[in-house]
Amino acid sequence: MWESKYVNQNKGDLVVAEVKIQSVTKMFGEVKAVNDFNAVIADGEFVSILGPSGCGKTTMLRMIAGFERATYGEIYIGDKLVSSSQANKFVPPEDRNIGMVFQSYAVWPHMNVFDNVAYPLKIKKYSKQQIMEKTTRALELVHLEAFSKRLPNQLSGGQQQRVALARALVGEPRLLLLDEPLSNLDAKLRESMRFEIKELQKQLGITVIYVTHDQAEAMAMSDRIIVMNQGVIQQSDMPEFVYESPANQIVADFIGLVNFIPAEVSAENIILPSINHILYSPGYRAGKALLAVRPEHIVMTTAENIGVSGTLLHKFYLGDSIDCRVAVKKEIIRVIGKASVYQHFQSGDEVTLQFEKIMVFPQD
Amino acid sequence: MDKKTFLPVIDLKWIVISIAVATLISFTVLPMLYLIFRSIVVDGVINIENYREVYNNIVNFSAFVNTFKISITVTAVSLLISFPLAWLVGRTDLPAKGFFRTLFVATYMIPPYVGAIAWIQLLNPRVGYMNVYLQKLFNLSAAPFDIYSFSGLVWCLTLFYSPFAFITISRALEKMDPTLEEASRVSGATPFETLYRVTLPLMFPSILAGGVLVFIGVASAFGIPAIVGMPAKIEVLTTRIVTYVYMGTGKGIREATALAVSLMLVANAILYFMTYILGKKDYVTIGGKSMRPNLVELGKWKWPITAIVGAYGLVSVFIPLASILVTSMLKSLSRPVSFDNLTFEKWLAVVDNSQYMETLSNSFITASIAATAATLIALFVAYLLVKTHAKGRRIPDSLATLGGATPSIVIALALIITFSGEFGLNLYSTLGILIVAYMVKYLTMAVRTIAASLSQVHSSLEEAALNSGANWLRSLKDILLPLIAPSIVAGWFLVFMPSFYELTMSIILYGSKTKTIGVLLYELQTYADPQDASVLAVVVLTIVLLGNIILRKISKGNVGI
Repeated sequence: MWESKYVNQNKGDLVVAEVKIQSVTKMFGEVKAVNDFNAVIADGEFVSILGPSGCGKTTMLRMIAGFERATYGEIYIGDKLVSSSQANKFVPPEDRNIGMVFQSYAVWPHMNVFDNVAYPLKIKKYSKQQIMEKTTRALELVHLEAFSKRLPNQLSGGQQQRVALARALVGEPRLLLLDEPLSNLDAKLRESMRFEIKELQKQLGITVIYVTHDQAEAMAMSDRIIVMNQGVIQQSDMPEFVYESPANQIVADFIGLVNFIPAEVSAENIILPSINHILYSPGYRAGKALLAVRPEHIVMTTAENIGVSGTLLHKFYLGDSIDCRVAVKKEIIRVIGKASVYQHFQSGDEVTLQFEKIMVFPQD
Repeated sequence: MDKKTFLPVIDLKWIVISIAVATLISFTVLPMLYLIFRSIVVDGVINIENYREVYNNIVNFSAFVNTFKISITVTAVSLLISFPLAWLVGRTDLPAKGFFRTLFVATYMIPPYVGAIAWIQLLNPRVGYMNVYLQKLFNLSAAPFDIYSFSGLVWCLTLFYSPFAFITISRALEKMDPTLEEASRVSGATPFETLYRVTLPLMFPSILAGGVLVFIGVASAFGIPAIVGMPAKIEVLTTRIVTYVYMGTGKGIREATALAVSLMLVANAILYFMTYILGKKDYVTIGGKSMRPNLVELGKWKWPITAIVGAYGLVSVFIPLASILVTSMLKSLSRPVSFDNLTFEKWLAVVDNSQYMETLSNSFITASIAATAATLIALFVAYLLVKTHAKGRRIPDSLATLGGATPSIVIALALIITFSGEFGLNLYSTLGILIVAYMVKYLTMAVRTIAASLSQVHSSLEEAALNSGANWLRSLKDILLPLIAPSIVAGWFLVFMPSFYELTMSIILYGSKTKTIGVLLYELQTYADPQDASVLAVVVLTIVLLGNIILRKISKGNVGI
């Protein structure tokens, strides 16, 4: 029903939407909002840029869209250079043939649903018949065909979001940018929209760059996640790698839950002075380090077993799981496990902890 | 808890608020109703005899038509100037935007009659500075401009009333979610396609609202039409009303009431028209996280546009102010402007003139009392509006708005006929009637400012004080007032300044011992000594400027006239 992947009716438009970002830096006054960003996003890839608010992810997206000018560096979309500080070249947003969805939806309140979605086609001077066909198809794609005559203020947030999505897709762009598109929706709707956006991307085979601060969203949808902090890329990997082997302490802390314990690494052992424990674990670089263990990678057993001894302080019942706080010397360690396994433990119990999987981050 | 200690707390709150509301009603609604009553009741029967008599006079009829013609022309020109200016300042990479923004609203804080005086000095057909200069420069046989004309009047009014539109439009532009425009750009629209397909339609309600403000402002204006229009034999409703009141006869007052009610109807008709249209097209365009709009690059047009905009600022603000200043310092008005023809002698003479100084002090006293009383009432009106859920909590605020929206001349006339002893209260020719008039007209300024800041204070803060055992007045004093103090001071100045230089109401309300600075300036300019008028205008401008500087300091740039 959609045009096949490599046919594009707009003459002169890019056919392959590989996005290449080379050494891009964005300065706001003295502040480096984005610092030496390098990435290649393959055609048809779904990439999330993930990070806390203020990390520069939206600024990076706006530079790809053409709303901000990179202070240094080059951006290519397909084989077209759209932004270059060296060549002093800058293609304005209207000439980049990109679809974009904004956090606030940015659905125009003075136009009905149909006119909102048809707008990019009207601007590109398509014939009346083409506008009718393409707009109707885009509305079908987001299941809004019955709402075409409604005004935006008669729609729910989720429906407005679909209008924005249809408008972004109607011009058949090869590249779709999404700026926290789901953060204004309620939790249930958010989960179903995640699925829908992912399905649409697979169906249309377009390249998607998705900006979010919600790690679950990024994990669920992306082929690859670029984690940013303070303007700098921390890691760029498949979701499971970002979670299982974070590149550094910042990524480990931001993605998922983690216990940090100060450590001394020697040739064969990791010494943990604050909990008075030594792990036999060769292969890490010697020196000061931080041991990171995810709460779900710790097994809590009764006191007679071998491991780290501690006292169960609190347990919080969360339905499917139980979230525990265990005091071990000066540290308080968080342990999460299945409710069925941990339900017989009581606050005050002496327990033993076993670390199933550890991460070590050197500190010097 | 003991019930006895709890009940009086509630009572006190409502007693205080009722007093504020009662004051408002007796000084706003009752006089206006009485004005309408007097205009349609002749010899104890309801009829339209008054109106027929008034409009049979061709001068009055043409004044009515002129009011319409002038207001519509000025509104149209103002919108044509203001939208592009607001867009340039809000959405493009125009340099020195902060400076231009201040410049375009500068005439808003200058008393219009001072502007009229300046433009007469500049474009008087015989000796206007600008006329003489242009005549010499281009070797013309006659003066190129005549301020005493329809276009002269429109020019002057546009300069002084277009800021209403500029302020309304640029505020709305600032609040508009920039992603609405970005979505258009990314859809393939150029900045200019975006401007007319998205920005302009979305701004339509604000443009309309700005236009209505200009229209009502111009239709109610007295200073400029009196100083520029009357010598050109262009009469409008306000100037006719003043003429009738000056006759001092019962018949004169009666005919004035008919004209005043006509003016009120025109203003209200426009307001309802706007509400009707807006009812269909009110969009919420506020939202989004990136409130930093993507600036349109003017490219090669940047410097030509900056030059045009700068020239407009120069002509609309700097040249008139310079003209006033130079005139106030001339040794001899008949000799050309040069350094050896400048002196401070006139200034010293004005300061020495006890009559002038008494007038200044009258204005200071009335404006201060009006500002203090209005701020106090505004506090309770705003509290009632923002912090309570009482039925009818919007009524006092609407009354304040009504006062602000009613043409000044109508308020003044209503006060004259109501408080000349007919209802047991005679304020005629006292400072009291001036104070009441200023309060009624400018109360809404204080209410708006205080309400805006009150709504920022979460009610839990006050509840926590009550919970800690403070009564309502105590919690007001300990919690609310300290938190909103800047807005209270700002509200005070917003009433004080326009009251201080007020002309339209003062001109028919003052008595022999209660002349105000606005009236004095008008009389000096029109009948006696234009140079003294310029010196006093400099004094007024200095005080207004100081007031604004204080206001901006207090509100950290958020409020200013």
